[in-house]
Amino acid sequence: MKKDIWYRIKSKPFLLSLAGLAAFSFFSLFFIVLGSAEEKKAGAEKVSVSPGRPDKASPEDLESGKNIYFRKCVWCHGPTGAGDGPAADRLWPRPRNFNAGTFKIRHTASGELPTEEDLFLTVTHGLPGSAMPSWAGILSDKERMQVVRFVRTELVKDRNFLDKETEEFHKIEFGKQVATSKESIEKGKLVYMTKGKCVECHGNDGRGDGNKTQKDEWGFPILPADLRKCWNFRGNREDPYNPKNIFREVSTGLNGTPMPSFADVLSPEDRWNVANFVISLCPPKKIDPLTAKPVLQFVVKSGYNKGEIPSDTNDPKWVSAESTYVGLAGQITEKPRNFVRLVDEVWVKSLYNDKEIAYYFEWDDRNKSVAQPESGNYELQPADVKEVPPGGEPVAVKGQDGWSVYNDSIGIQFPAKWEQLAAPEKPRFIFGDEKNPVDLWKWNAAGGINEYTGKGISNPLTPRDGKNVKIVASEYKDGRWKVILKRDRLTNDKDNEVQFTLGQYIPTSFYIWDGNNGDKGAKTSISTWYYTILKPPVPNNVYVIPPVVVLVVIGFEFWLRRKFEKKKK
Amino acid sequence: MPIELILIEILTLILFLAGNYFLKKTFGRGVSRFFQGILFVLAAYFIFKFVIFPPIPSALLYTYMGLICLVVFLLLSSTDSSWNEFQDPIIKTLEARTPGFKTVRMITFGVFPVLAGIGAYNFIKPNFQEPIELRTVHPAPPGAIQVHGSNMVLQEAKSPFRVDEQGKYSEGIENKYLKANPFDEKAPPYMKYVREGGEIFFQNCHFCHGDNLDARGMFAFAFNPIPANFTDPGTIAQLQETFVFWRVAKGGIGLPREGFPWASAMPPWEKHLTTDEMWKVIEFEYWHTGYYPRTWD
Repeated sequence: MKKDIWYRIKSKPFLLSLAGLAAFSFFSLFFIVLGSAEEKKAGAEKVSVSPGRPDKASPEDLESGKNIYFRKCVWCHGPTGAGDGPAADRLWPRPRNFNAGTFKIRHTASGELPTEEDLFLTVTHGLPGSAMPSWAGILSDKERMQVVRFVRTELVKDRNFLDKETEEFHKIEFGKQVATSKESIEKGKLVYMTKGKCVECHGNDGRGDGNKTQKDEWGFPILPADLRKCWNFRGNREDPYNPKNIFREVSTGLNGTPMPSFADVLSPEDRWNVANFVISLCPPKKIDPLTAKPVLQFVVKSGYNKGEIPSDTNDPKWVSAESTYVGLAGQITEKPRNFVRLVDEVWVKSLYNDKEIAYYFEWDDRNKSVAQPESGNYELQPADVKEVPPGGEPVAVKGQDGWSVYNDSIGIQFPAKWEQLAAPEKPRFIFGDEKNPVDLWKWNAAGGINEYTGKGISNPLTPRDGKNVKIVASEYKDGRWKVILKRDRLTNDKDNEVQFTLGQYIPTSFYIWDGNNGDKGAKTSISTWYYTILKPPVPNNVYVIPPVVVLVVIGFEFWLRRKFEKKKK
Repeated sequence: MPIELILIEILTLILFLAGNYFLKKTFGRGVSRFFQGILFVLAAYFIFKFVIFPPIPSALLYTYMGLICLVVFLLLSSTDSSWNEFQDPIIKTLEARTPGFKTVRMITFGVFPVLAGIGAYNFIKPNFQEPIELRTVHPAPPGAIQVHGSNMVLQEAKSPFRVDEQGKYSEGIENKYLKANPFDEKAPPYMKYVREGGEIFFQNCHFCHGDNLDARGMFAFAFNPIPANFTDPGTIAQLQETFVFWRVAKGGIGLPREGFPWASAMPPWEKHLTTDEMWKVIEFEYWHTGYYPRTWD
């Protein structure tokens, strides 16, 4: 018997195939280990940064760090580290002022200085959602270590990292991590709503629409984080979906901001539950490692809907429709430019039926801003829109005191005659151009909808009389706008109005105006060109050809089998 | 990465040969040619797909895999004995002389039609990806441009700020001050211009082109095509400074058709900056990246 088994092992290819598989998995493992070892090598080329109280920095490190600082960092953080470099006034969030030694992202207790390692990690990974990039791969580990030593020694002026009498470094305890689960998320939500009082600032739905009128230690307006956009969290260490980062921030608080430490208020278990809850709010998206934002797909796929377009934003047909993430940038090409744009994304869905097409827009805006109903008279460059907020203070959250509040609005635009454009030509993506006009629909929070023809930034948008676009739904709740617009797929004014043909890529782009941010006219957030495609019904051959292929392969197998059975005999 | 990649490949090969030798010693035979072929193709796929970073486009991946399959096939069929060894398990499976092979045949015959069906479905199912549009990144510049009322002949113009201490145009000056501190009060005129250019850059350009001039600014993610990466040797390092000036002054909208003027967010900076300011920004870009512009000859 034993001999028999041995014989089998020796001769049976299917057992050998097992050996092959084992070898393959071994190789895979080898690659993974090698890969991570390499990553480690790239990340830590034998520099030691102190995880606790740092030592005195050597003169060489300071000299070299200073050199790096004045070539790379000074432009935002300023020559004295006061966060007042040439870029500062057009940035929001503003660059950190180092002088007071107040740092947000730490592992140390509330009010304490960060460890050298904390600063090193911040420089390494950057601060998503701000202008601070990741310096890994740009500066070597040693250079990053040196610049951190220069900053903590020379630019932190009010405090001294080395002073044992005044400075302590109590690193937070992570305790036993509570794995995420439905139960933990529920418990976390309860803490968020009650004991932790997170809801007061971050809002019912976590969109940062709670307390919007706070200031930071330097007197600049500050807004609570929108917890639905974890890729924008400053301290997420390029690992947006890791609850550990949330646990850390809840435990340490963010020095200099209204975000307190909850280390004394909430047990570690509570904090883990809250962290799991916060992460559960963020929609799972593939994050582009280069931009630290969700990967963009430049197509809005409109699905066929039999019968009437649902007018309820919670209708299952809308809920199950494919949502496209559209990234928005400030319009900084033409004056008045919008350097501080608070709305950085809009989610777009679309459905069509035999007669109409509908778009469903969702975007986060902490303030609902409604002004007077807009007339069709579109002012492209209104005199009262300032380009640079005075003193670098963003217009955001200033709405209440002094600045005009305009309507929150959304715009969607198409080439008026895309059928006649030879691909890939399109109108210019900012209000079209003389040669190729655009058809722009603009909904505003006062409940109006206007249709315009755009012929470029130097020609004011021309309002049209046609009232073809209809508002299906519009609602504002807990920091989020939801707007559904629809129009007949085909209209009579073929010169000015976009015609929606089945199965064609129709160039489409988007605008958001944040009324409270002083957005009006060309001061807006814009997307680049996307495409809308009305997905044609699935062709029948999708259901016919694969079974035919299967049958043909089976037939071939029978033929092979017969041939070899015959040969055997 | 190429050196690491070659290293990985060599290591894989060594590991494979060692493993094979080990198998031969213990069981009297190594991995058969058939599995060697499969293993090689799978390992190549694994490396191309998961080890190489940044990921390569799928079209390239398929081309590589096609080449690998061809090479494997050629190697396997190079001698009669190797070809026979390769065929052996296939023929044995088809003939199914033992119960073991019968099982293998049953499984293969069951799995193949299903895989073919899934493959056919994925192939013909419509998927509505965005159309591929190929754009010319550096289109031919015009002979001359009008900026702020004066005519600039691109082949003749020179940056007025690439100057040495005596105020003379100096080609390698950025090399000399590569590590200098632009905020030093005793800085030479060239470094003062760099500093002024940097200030303009950080008030206007970094939103797209990034704090490190590497196209990773706050707004960059929203655009398609993405902004130019000046640290990439394929951009300002291989362009003449007047070409760069043309791009800065006239912006995306001033591109010829093949450059997709409708999709570029690059402002025509002549609307916002003076000629001197634009030159200073360009000086700053070359200084910061450590590149120098190409000359016309």
